[in-house]
Amino acid sequence: MSFIQNIINGILLGGIYALLGVGMTMMFGIVKLTNLAHGEFIIMGAFASTLLAQALGIDPIITLIITVPCMFLIGMVLQSVLINRVMLQGSEPALLVTFGLSIILQDAMLLLFTADARRANVSYSTTNIQLPGGLYISVLDLVVFVISLVTILILTIFLRRTYMGRAIRATSDDTVAASLMGVSVRRTYGIAMGIAMATAAVAGLGVGMRWTFYPSSGGTYLLIAFGVVVIGGMGSIPGTLVAGLVFGLAQVFGGANYGLLVSYILLIVMLAVRPQGLFSK
Amino acid sequence: MKKTAASNQRNVRIIDGIPMLIAAIILVIVLAVIGFAGSNNLRRILIKVFIYCAMGSMWNLMSGYTGMTSLGQQTFIGVAGYTVALFTAKFALPFAVGILAGGVIGGVLALILAVILFRMRGMYFAIATWVIAEAFKTFFTSWGFVNAGGGMTVAGRPDREVIYLMCLVLAVASIVVIYVLLKSKLGLGLTAMRDDADAASSVGVNIFKSKLLCFVICGVFCALGGGLYYLNNVSIYPGSGFAIDWTVSLVFIVIIGGIGTMSGPIVGTIIYIVLDEVLAQLPAGWSNIILGLIAILVILFLPDGIMGTLQKKLHFELLSQKRFSGE
Repeated sequence: MSFIQNIINGILLGGIYALLGVGMTMMFGIVKLTNLAHGEFIIMGAFASTLLAQALGIDPIITLIITVPCMFLIGMVLQSVLINRVMLQGSEPALLVTFGLSIILQDAMLLLFTADARRANVSYSTTNIQLPGGLYISVLDLVVFVISLVTILILTIFLRRTYMGRAIRATSDDTVAASLMGVSVRRTYGIAMGIAMATAAVAGLGVGMRWTFYPSSGGTYLLIAFGVVVIGGMGSIPGTLVAGLVFGLAQVFGGANYGLLVSYILLIVMLAVRPQGLFSK
Repeated sequence: MKKTAASNQRNVRIIDGIPMLIAAIILVIVLAVIGFAGSNNLRRILIKVFIYCAMGSMWNLMSGYTGMTSLGQQTFIGVAGYTVALFTAKFALPFAVGILAGGVIGGVLALILAVILFRMRGMYFAIATWVIAEAFKTFFTSWGFVNAGGGMTVAGRPDREVIYLMCLVLAVASIVVIYVLLKSKLGLGLTAMRDDADAASSVGVNIFKSKLLCFVICGVFCALGGGLYYLNNVSIYPGSGFAIDWTVSLVFIVIIGGIGTMSGPIVGTIIYIVLDEVLAQLPAGWSNIILGLIAILVILFLPDGIMGTLQKKLHFELLSQKRFSGE
C-alpha cells in the first residue's frame, strides 16, 4: 500500500516541480539564457506571498493578485536594463551575470528578512482526504498541485492562442525571421523574462505553502528546476510537466535521506546520456 | 577599425624573460621571509591569498583558456578537506600524507568525473559540475563515516609558518605549471580549442586529451588548495566544504582580474582578499551584495577585467603565453 501512497505523493510533488521548471524552460527556449537566479526569484515570490498574507490577514493564494504583476514588471525591467545588454557579449558573461544576481538577491533577502525559517500558513495545512485502503491525499499538496497545473495550462493557452504568444514562439524558433516579420526581439525577451518571473511568483507561493524556506533556499530549487528542464527538454512545456512527475517520483522513492541525491544522480545521468531531454523539439 | 587593432597588436610589449624571472624570484623570497618575520594577521591574510590565487589561476585555465566554465570546483575542495580530516583524525597519519592523498584523490576524481562531464559543453557542463558538487554535499551530509552533518576536525595541525610555506609553494607551483603548460604546444592547442573547437580539432588538436589534462591538473590543484585550507581551518562541514561560495569567490577573482590573462587571477585575488577583509567589518550579508554588484559592473563595463583592459590600453602583456610578438 505504501507503494501506491508513494506514487500519489510523487505525482503531487511533481506538479510543483514542473512549475519550478516552467519559467526556466521558457528562458532557455526563448531567450537562450541560463538563468542561475531563478531559484532566488522563486524564494522572492515565497517571501512576498508569505509576508503579504501575514500583513493583510488573507489567504496566501489571494496574494498572487499582487505578486504576479509585480514580479512580471521586475522581470521585464531586469531583462531590458541589464540582461539584454550583457547577452550581446555572449552566453558566458550572461550566465555569470545571473550568477551575480543570485548572490545579490540571496544576501539582500537575508538582510531584509533575516535567516529565520518561514512558511505560508493555511488553515488546511494538516488536513488529509482519506481514501480506501488506508491511503490519503494531503489537501495542502493537492491545492498546490492544482495551482501548478492551472498555471501551466494558462501559460500553454497564452503561448498557443494569443498574438504575443505566437510572437514569442516565433522568436524562439527563428530570431532573425521573427524580427523581419516585425517582432521586436528585445521586447519579446523582456516579456518572456516577465512571464518567467510571474511563474516564479506562483512557484514561490507553492514552495512557501509546502515547505519551510530560508533566504538561502534558492539553490535547491534552482537545481530542481534545472533538472526538470533538462529531463523535459529545453523549452518544452509539456516535457516540463512529465519531467516534474519523473523528478517528484524519483525523490519520493529515494526516501527522506537520499531522495535529493537520487534526483541529482538521475539528473547527471540524463545530462550525460541524453542532454537534449525527453521531449526536445 | 580592424587595421588599427592589428597594428596595435604588433606593438604589444611582452614583459617576459630573465628580468621577469628575477623579479618573480625576489618576490617569492620576500614572501617567504614575511612568513617568519611578519605578524600573525599578515600571515593569515597571505595564506588566503596564496590558496585563492592557486585556485583562481586554475579556474582561469579552465574557463579562460579551454572554455570549460565549472561551477563545481568545490567538489575537489570538499573531498580533499575531508581526506585531510579523515587521514589525520581517523587514521592518525601525518598531515603531509593527508594533503598529498587529497591531491591524488582529486586527480582520480577528476578523471572519473571527466567521463561524464566531457559529454557536455557550455552551460550544460557548468550546471552539471554544480549538480555534482551538490550531490556530494547531500551525500556527505548523510554519510555516517564522516560524521554526517556534524562535520570533522583535523588533528595534528602544524605551525602556521609551515602551512604558510606550503601555501606559498602551492601558489608558485600553480602559476609555473600553467605558464609552462600554456607555453607548450598543448597551450596553443588549448587556446585554439577555446576559440573554435571544431576548427581546432580539424587541424589536429586532440581536444579530448588536452581538455582532460587541464581538468585533471585543475582538480589536483583545487584539491591541494582545499586540503591546505582545511588543514589551516581545522574544522570542515559538508555545508562549508562543498559550498557554492567557493565558486563565487573564484568567478569573482577571475572576472575582476581579467579572464584569459595569466596575471589577471593574481591581481583579482589581491583585490578580492582586500575587499573581503574590509567588507568583513560590515554587517553580515553586505559583503556578497557588494562583491556581486562589482562583478556585474565589471562584466558590463570592463568585460576584459582589470589586467585585460590595462594590457589592451597600454599595449603590454605580462606572463604572455604568446611565442611571437605579432599574431
